Amino acid sequence: MTPASLRGWRLVHRWTSLICSANLLILCVTGLILVFHHEIQHLMGEELDSSYTEGQARLPLQSLVDIAQKADPTLQPKLLSFDPEDKAVNYIYLGPPEESGFELGRWVVLNGFTGANQMLKQPTETLVGFLLKLHVDLFTGFAGQMFVGVMGLLFVVSTVSGLVVYGPFMKKLAFGILRFGRGTRIGNIDLHNLFGVATLVWAFVVGLTGAILSFSPLITGYWQKTELAAMTARHPEPMTGSSVSIDRVAEAGLAAFPGKDLAFIAYPGNEYAGSRHFSVLVRGHTELTQRLLSVALVDAETGVVAETAGTPWYMTVLMLSGPFHFGDYGGLPLQIVWALFTIVTGVVTVTGFVVWLKRPRARAASAATGAKLGSKA
Amino acid sequence: MTGVWRIPAALAVLSVIGLAAAILGDGVWDWLCWATLSVPLAVCAAKLWRQWPS
Repeated sequence: MTPASLRGWRLVHRWTSLICSANLLILCVTGLILVFHHEIQHLMGEELDSSYTEGQARLPLQSLVDIAQKADPTLQPKLLSFDPEDKAVNYIYLGPPEESGFELGRWVVLNGFTGANQMLKQPTETLVGFLLKLHVDLFTGFAGQMFVGVMGLLFVVSTVSGLVVYGPFMKKLAFGILRFGRGTRIGNIDLHNLFGVATLVWAFVVGLTGAILSFSPLITGYWQKTELAAMTARHPEPMTGSSVSIDRVAEAGLAAFPGKDLAFIAYPGNEYAGSRHFSVLVRGHTELTQRLLSVALVDAETGVVAETAGTPWYMTVLMLSGPFHFGDYGGLPLQIVWALFTIVTGVVTVTGFVVWLKRPRARAASAATGAKLGSKA
Repeated sequence: MTGVWRIPAALAVLSVIGLAAAILGDGVWDWLCWATLSVPLAVCAAKLWRQWPS
């Protein structure tokens, strides 16, 4: 590598890291706790009621929708969402009749076996909700979420550029050397290099998947406006009669994809469905296949499947980003591993900042320039 | 590959295997994930432990 390109990479590493470091520390601290959100919710009594007895039958979806609608009869059901891990937890979105998006209505959470209605608390009312909001958008909504996504991308560039500058720096140094007796700057550089390079792959993956998740509204929005919209546009028939029951719709959708589970059902008129067709989204049930979605359009008047499709690669990337960001796909030991990596990343962030703070000032150089200017004057 | 990259490359390979393993299955895949992902952390801890100023 030429000295000039190395200087360039150093600049990239310095500035991408410095810009994202404050946000990165917030992400590390909140993320460290959020890794254990299930355990914390359990301890705080904030978890959703998902109790049912073995062998108990699920309530028909229609009765769940009816229960949800009782909470606010002026609203209509728009979307059903099923928890992949917890089959008792069902989310139902209710909105004003004319709404096709998800802004004016409300989510209702029901136990799918008992029908118990659980009020969703505001994020600020629970510890996990508060930390999650801070982690995802710094309490500033969509703009904040995009900001955090950009910070995530900067972090990814910082890990890559850090790897590039690591090689030349370590040329004459043994791996993992920690020269603690040689002053603050050298001690911090060594710790930064060791912790940084040892956890680089993890940091890269978690940073990149975090950025992808931040941009999820844009990614799902793109899919909805292109492939899904083209699919529903092929079935433009308006609604003339009455709809079959939601349970028949679900059955038809599931029959189109044997062995799959329900993920979402969007009602006709919703932006994720057609004018008279339900969208039934299904997923598999292994760690991997539960992240792969397929969709069936079901005619609301006949209960017949009109068309089926998979989802494009970028939706699969988005869905797979979840586990690789949350670390929730390998039990409690993986959560602990995830937490330890998060702590190491926090140390890398702080030591990197200290190295920058303690940088040798170019005082001699600027003094010389000053003298030259002085002599000219 | 020069000496500078030998250990970092090994840790990177172990990390990739570990991250991928648990998504592919449960049981033995989970164990593979925990074992491989622990190595980079253990290396950090061991280096810190041995060279901590006494």
